[in-house]
Amino acid sequence: MKPQTEAVLRVCSLDKAFAGKRVLNNIDLSLTAGEVLCILGPNGAGKTTLISAILGLIAADAGEIHLLGQLQQGAERSVALRQQLGVMLQIGSLPATLTVAEQCDLFASYYPAGYRAPELVALAGLEDHAKQRFGRLSGGQKQRLLFALALAGKPRLLFLDEPTLGMDVEARRNLWQQIHQLQQQGVSIVLTTHYLEEAEQLADRIMVLHQGKFIADGSPGELKALTRYKLVQCCSALSDAALLALPGVLQLNRQQDGVTMHSSHAEQTVRALLSQDPGVSQLEVRQVALEQAFLQLTGDAAAAQAGADNQEQVA
Amino acid sequence: MNTLAIYQKEAWYDLISVWRTPGFVLPALAFPLVFYLFFGVLFSPSGSTSHAVYMLVTYSCFGIMGPAMFNFAMSIASDRAQGWLTLKRLSPMPVSAYLLAKMATSLVFALFIILLLFSAAAIFGEVRLYHSQWLGLALLLLLGTVPFALIGLLLGLTLSDKAAPGVVNLLYLPMAFLSGLWLPVTMLPQFLQQLAWLWPSYHLSQLGLKLLALDQGQPLLLHLTILLVTSTVLTLLCLLVFRRYTGAKS
Repeated sequence: MKPQTEAVLRVCSLDKAFAGKRVLNNIDLSLTAGEVLCILGPNGAGKTTLISAILGLIAADAGEIHLLGQLQQGAERSVALRQQLGVMLQIGSLPATLTVAEQCDLFASYYPAGYRAPELVALAGLEDHAKQRFGRLSGGQKQRLLFALALAGKPRLLFLDEPTLGMDVEARRNLWQQIHQLQQQGVSIVLTTHYLEEAEQLADRIMVLHQGKFIADGSPGELKALTRYKLVQCCSALSDAALLALPGVLQLNRQQDGVTMHSSHAEQTVRALLSQDPGVSQLEVRQVALEQAFLQLTGDAAAAQAGADNQEQVA
Repeated sequence: MNTLAIYQKEAWYDLISVWRTPGFVLPALAFPLVFYLFFGVLFSPSGSTSHAVYMLVTYSCFGIMGPAMFNFAMSIASDRAQGWLTLKRLSPMPVSAYLLAKMATSLVFALFIILLLFSAAAIFGEVRLYHSQWLGLALLLLLGTVPFALIGLLLGLTLSDKAAPGVVNLLYLPMAFLSGLWLPVTMLPQFLQQLAWLWPSYHLSQLGLKLLALDQGQPLLLHLTILLVTSTVLTLLCLLVFRRYTGAKS
């Protein structure tokens, strides 16, 4: 009887493999009431698999899942439990011929204690499009509707799988605003994303998932400190030793088409580089993705390098 | 009362979302009617009304099979592919509400087709039946949608949304022909006649024809047993597939 400290979600030693490939590897996580947890990781890290296993869409191979204090057996989730959960998944489409108001009416009927249909339309901010069919909504409007449907039951625990995927900047900020409001109302939220900025904006706690394992767990501030390193990439005539002597450079990797340097002070590095080698070409400065910053810290340099080679640019 | 509301809304919205799909509604209603008028009324070999009566039964069977198979197979395959079914399964909605809604839609379409074809038969085919025969035939046809809905459900649970329409057509049209729904079964080649008992649609049409004393003369119990066994086997298969789908989907 300790509602303040009781975990609304607890996962212990969760394992899942598909066709012999381990997708989730000994996952532990715990969420206290009112907390917003961001699970951050690149595509293919296992975020969606983890959410699916928690929700019972797939059966885990091993491990325990406790939802709202109840140990879950297999892939069954009781009706009483489902009434207290809200879920927004990456889904393709609702029935294209039903209107916004109709979808909301249908979903509101599932949750006797939840919002009424017009309230859901308002939550989605689609009052002006209430009579529009789902198939004619823009991508961002569809996401807003799906978000509102996730709130239909006034959930205690909300799962948002990549909620801002495909949204423009303004829609994204509006959704962040709404998530903040839910946070203030005490809703516990698990949110997956591959946007570091999103995790920083929303999370009380960020856990970084990489190849089915959590490689970091901390507040946004703690994790942010680890991303001040930048990658400086270029083709230069300078020797490795000369490059390593540039200000800020911590580490250097030479590839076929140039060198990649890790720098703690990228601006100084670039300034010195340009003055010492005016012929430098293909110069590029990139943010280190969070999971790579972690991999370097944990000494997994080979994996970090493999990751850096096909890393996407972070805006 | 709240649960009842879910069943009602689910059924209502399934019906109107199908109703707003002209690509489904038009063929479902127009094909049986046009085929019946053409082959049952206009091209009556002897001009006899018994031909119009016979074809009324078989084209009604043909008519009610279509929406049952198509609505189940295509919308379930598509709901699965689009993630809509996943979202519903995570909600407190009972799965039975979803399935009964589809059944209700199939029955509404069956009712429309029955009314259309019966009217056409009475007006253009000069078909005259006892009230009890009209009513009995209508009830039989409504009940007869069940095995075809189950076929559709099984296909919807196993096929991709891309494959579903093609496979349903591949099953629906030959099955209708081989059961003697387009041409009287007696006009089929001998070896096809001997295989007609394989198809549930053959037995449904024979039950209907039995009401009007136009059947092949096989025992009532044979038709009922085969339809019942088929439906039971299909139900078990659907349960099996559904359990696998909810248990360990990748």
